[in-house]
Amino acid sequence: MADDEVDPKEYRWETGYEKTWEAIKEDEAGLVEGLVAEFAQKAARKAAAPRRGPVRLGMMRHLLLAIDCSEAMNCQDIKPTRFLCTLKLLERFIEEFFDQNPLSQLGLVLLKNKRAEKLTDMCGNVRKHIKAVQGLTNMNLTGEPSLQNALEYAGRVLKPLPGHASRELLVLFASLTTCDPGDINTNIQALKTDGIRCSVIGLAAEVRICKKLCQDTGGEYGVILDDVHYRSLLLECTAPPPRARALDAGLIKMGFPHCAPLSAQPDNNADPPITQCMCHLEEGEGVGTEGHLCPQCRTKYCSLPAQCRTCGLTLASAPHLARSYHHLFPVDPYEEVPNEGQAQYCFGCLRLFNDLDKEPPFLCHQPPDPFPHQMCNVIHECPFPFISKHQQMFLRSDFWPGGVVFLHFIRLHRCGRCREHYCWQCAGLVSSTLHVCPGCAARPHLYQRLPDTS
Amino acid sequence: MADDNTPTDCSLLVVVVDTNPNQRYIIEDPKVLTNCLDAVIAFSNSHLMQKAKNQLAVIGCHFHKSEYLYPSPGKPLDVRQIDGQYELFTLVEKTIKMRLVNLIKSQPQEDKPGESLLAGALAMALCYISRVRRQLSPGLTMSSRILIVTGSSDTAAQYINYMNVFFTAQKQQVLIDVCSLDKHLSLLQQGCDITGGLYLKVPSLEGLLQYLLWVFLPEASERSKLVLPGGGRVDYRAACFCHREPLSIGYVCSLCLSVAVVTRSHEESTRDHGYCFVAETSSTVFKIGGPLATKPKKKKMKI
Amino acid sequence: MSESSKSKGSVNLNPSPTLQCKDLHEYLKSRSAQFLETLYNYPTICLAVYRELPELARHFVIRLLFVEQPVPQAVVASWVSQAHAKEQLKAAEALSELSVWQEAPIPGGLPGWLLAHSFKRNLKVALLGGGRPWSMSSSLEPDGKARDVAFLDAYALERWECVLHYMVGSAQTEGISADAVRILLHAGLMTRDADDGSAVITRAGFQFLLLSTAKQVWLFLQHYLHTAEKRSLSAAECLAFLYQLSFSTLGKDYSTEGMSNNMLVFLQHLREFGLVYQRKRKAGRFFPTRLALNIACVRSDNETLEPADAGAAPRGYILVETNYRVYAYTQTSLQAALLGLFAELVYRFPNVVVGVLTRESVRQALRGGITAAQIIRYLEQHAHPQMLKADSGGIRSESVLPPTVVDQVKLWESERNRFTYTEGVVYNQFLSQADFVALRDYARAQKVLTWQSERARTMVVTRAGHDDVRRYWKRYSKSS
Repeated sequence: MADDEVDPKEYRWETGYEKTWEAIKEDEAGLVEGLVAEFAQKAARKAAAPRRGPVRLGMMRHLLLAIDCSEAMNCQDIKPTRFLCTLKLLERFIEEFFDQNPLSQLGLVLLKNKRAEKLTDMCGNVRKHIKAVQGLTNMNLTGEPSLQNALEYAGRVLKPLPGHASRELLVLFASLTTCDPGDINTNIQALKTDGIRCSVIGLAAEVRICKKLCQDTGGEYGVILDDVHYRSLLLECTAPPPRARALDAGLIKMGFPHCAPLSAQPDNNADPPITQCMCHLEEGEGVGTEGHLCPQCRTKYCSLPAQCRTCGLTLASAPHLARSYHHLFPVDPYEEVPNEGQAQYCFGCLRLFNDLDKEPPFLCHQPPDPFPHQMCNVIHECPFPFISKHQQMFLRSDFWPGGVVFLHFIRLHRCGRCREHYCWQCAGLVSSTLHVCPGCAARPHLYQRLPDTS
Repeated sequence: MADDNTPTDCSLLVVVVDTNPNQRYIIEDPKVLTNCLDAVIAFSNSHLMQKAKNQLAVIGCHFHKSEYLYPSPGKPLDVRQIDGQYELFTLVEKTIKMRLVNLIKSQPQEDKPGESLLAGALAMALCYISRVRRQLSPGLTMSSRILIVTGSSDTAAQYINYMNVFFTAQKQQVLIDVCSLDKHLSLLQQGCDITGGLYLKVPSLEGLLQYLLWVFLPEASERSKLVLPGGGRVDYRAACFCHREPLSIGYVCSLCLSVAVVTRSHEESTRDHGYCFVAETSSTVFKIGGPLATKPKKKKMKI
Repeated sequence: MSESSKSKGSVNLNPSPTLQCKDLHEYLKSRSAQFLETLYNYPTICLAVYRELPELARHFVIRLLFVEQPVPQAVVASWVSQAHAKEQLKAAEALSELSVWQEAPIPGGLPGWLLAHSFKRNLKVALLGGGRPWSMSSSLEPDGKARDVAFLDAYALERWECVLHYMVGSAQTEGISADAVRILLHAGLMTRDADDGSAVITRAGFQFLLLSTAKQVWLFLQHYLHTAEKRSLSAAECLAFLYQLSFSTLGKDYSTEGMSNNMLVFLQHLREFGLVYQRKRKAGRFFPTRLALNIACVRSDNETLEPADAGAAPRGYILVETNYRVYAYTQTSLQAALLGLFAELVYRFPNVVVGVLTRESVRQALRGGITAAQIIRYLEQHAHPQMLKADSGGIRSESVLPPTVVDQVKLWESERNRFTYTEGVVYNQFLSQADFVALRDYARAQKVLTWQSERARTMVVTRAGHDDVRRYWKRYSKSS
């Protein structure tokens, strides 16, 4: 968001002095509504930036997450410290990652005192990762990180993975320096040939070697502005990336454990035998009749997805696959149309379109009476990343001494297929979470969203 | 999940009624629909009776489209009491019946009734729930749930839509309850299991209201206290994309996650389907380990 | 030694009795079964009672609603999972208390439950229809001068504030009817001044002012119903009509046709308090207001007066900051005056009052018989929506107010309660130190000694231990 259109030829400091405030123009009434409207729409459009499908995505991701644990993480420019903030965000990231990519695997590695130390193995167990992250709170942060060692480790772990798996490395890098034993460029070349996609999120400032790493391997490089931006950068990494270059398309053998008592058992009345589940073998827990049996070798697992310890079969259930389908079949984005009274109410939620959907957003100095709730929502959630945190605070308080800022969206949204009109909240819900257009899904000709045969 | 036991100040119920004339019990005796509808209305009113702030929406799912039966968009009907019934309940009953008639009248005459597109109605319900949540006055808590009353069978054609709806409901802590009037619905049962709702296939249509009141009236926080029918085991096997059959062991494409019975080339399966699942992968040559075991082709069947 | 001289310490163990506000359940519980039986002939009352029941009890009723025979008690108990057996008992108790169900033996001799006949019948009527329409629902010609919701809200607020203004004796109001004054006096919220016979507010009255509007209305009406019989109105009929109002639709007009004379009188009273709006006394139609609608939801502790639709209803207006500052966005002097009961007002603007909670101001309120809990409740109830939305920074406190303020107000209260009163008997004027020590040690061993001073040879023994100590003393003085 800071500079989306990066011009590689020119650095920010070489450009002329930007007079950002000059972009804000007041109209005759002293209001800046037009500008705010533009901002709001830009943000909304960016939020709904569609991924044109169908695309080839790396759905079975193997992501190695390297966390800088050097002295630079102690810095308090994001509260409470860079490190603690990172840990807090990581918990959310891990959950979201497995929510979006249920069949993927994650591994954590710490860049500590010039070494790369493994924290968790590559696996798909959410709880294990989160527990490990939570255990880091009191760690001592000293020394410098070594990017090269991290790359080396990543190469070692990710290279042997089967060809169909997408291999990714994500580095959270706070230091401005790296202490490397050799020439890092050879490592970058090696990663490139192995098709490992490296992304870096910088916590301090842009570092050239990180940028080069990302450019060469096809990853993303971002430098955070504040904690909100950090969070959005991190969460952007949860969506599956476009397929990396060297990714093979492959068919993976997978087991779908069937819970119902097997028909092979002659008497259905007899209780199923009590067995030990394999995931809790060490702890000695997990004894019981419930569980998922590997269809190949009949070992039991208490949670899915898992990899069978005995025969190596990947075990999953249908919903795990289905969770990723929306990446492959995204809904077509709605088009924005001006509200000219063509529809009385939102098809999705039955909200009557009122004047608020008609007028442009405005900035006012007196709270309107009665207080419109729709506006409250906008203020409360503040979906506008372009507004600084400081400003957002003002936005939230409707008793700001200088006046009150209210923002809202102007237009109706129309689905191009079923031609129904939606309010902007429903449009947002459909594109961000629901991934089903309520109108289309209820029409016999439109409900199947398979790609056209043509 | 929504099964935390703190009682909420109010609760929102969205009932999705399947009115498709294609359902077996309607074909056998069209009058049964009226009985079922009466039961659903009485049930909805009982929900409103529980707490003063409880809210209700009813969506009718017909084969050509889904529509809100209650509340009606715009101004509510002007109803006066005709008997001792609570005014609001009369309003609910009148509105639902009137709008259902309109819905049925609007069905295209030339088209044959197809399957009931419940996923669309569910998506509408989720939109409605999120709107009511937004408009909830601060400080109030609300639990929401969706009840599906249907006599249709579920087909895998809506699989993706269903799954998206279920996951959204799970994320938003909305319970999905299913009351099946006719067949066992394995897909919808998965939805109940994912969202923590209840699944019930009623043995007979005679005492439908009783079944509804006993099983589906308690809201999420009350359910743990009452003895209610257990979930039973849910079949979570994936269905292969070629024959729509549930599998125990299958092969999954690493790019598009389509499921196949046997290892075979994508071209072959593309030829089978008549379309390519993911258009771009049509040129992909899969690496296949081991000899190609071809299975005799079955004719396409729906589960 | 001179035998003990007694002094009693039971002056006032509870100096400021708090105002009790019964909910419908408690109100009905205190009535006779016969009265309840009459009430259950009204579908509205059945509906209201049903909503007041504990949640499990509601499900018992709905499950029994269509059953004609008694159902074994064991069966009813089995509906609830074992872990919640206690709640099951409580629900069953509530149903018995309100005579919603009665015990009835079933043929096998087992004890069973049977829903009260009239309750069952009328609840069914309310839910499914049938029976006679409620008295006020005769059809009406569409009204040319229909009133919208905003108008009704303003009207109701104005009328009700009239009553409150009268209580605080604000100069800016016109008087209220003698009837209303009588109710206020009967409720103990006001009392006749000894000198000139004018009505002045009591301690209970101040506490009344701090309640939420819905509670105020309900408490007021409870006392109205108490005095109803004197006015030859039937309490049951009035209560039924009230609940009928509470189940009506806001912004809709209802007909007075077919209402009995008594009810028309009652309607005029309600009109005075702002529960209904009528253009003219003989208009033939009336509009219930939000005050009447809120009677039904007085029960829950955390009721906020806000409906789902935006902006129309009275909204919270108070902001409390961690530095004890209170900002009240209000224009009525009543609300400012209420705030002034326990806060020191600093600034006064046309639409906002700024005050600060100080030790002195809160202590003054406490001296006036207001409790810390009431102050906190008041601030919570009227909290500005922004306060409700604000994230308390990870610390999830139960209150929307800053925890420091809540704690401090409570501390200021407990500061005043440094005395604990214990009834006791003083023993003094012992003749010798030995006598004193012997008696003191005995009392201490019996754990009845409250206080002792060796120098003054004085001790205090609890009232319960007095007899025992005296007997011991008699034995002791005889033997020595």
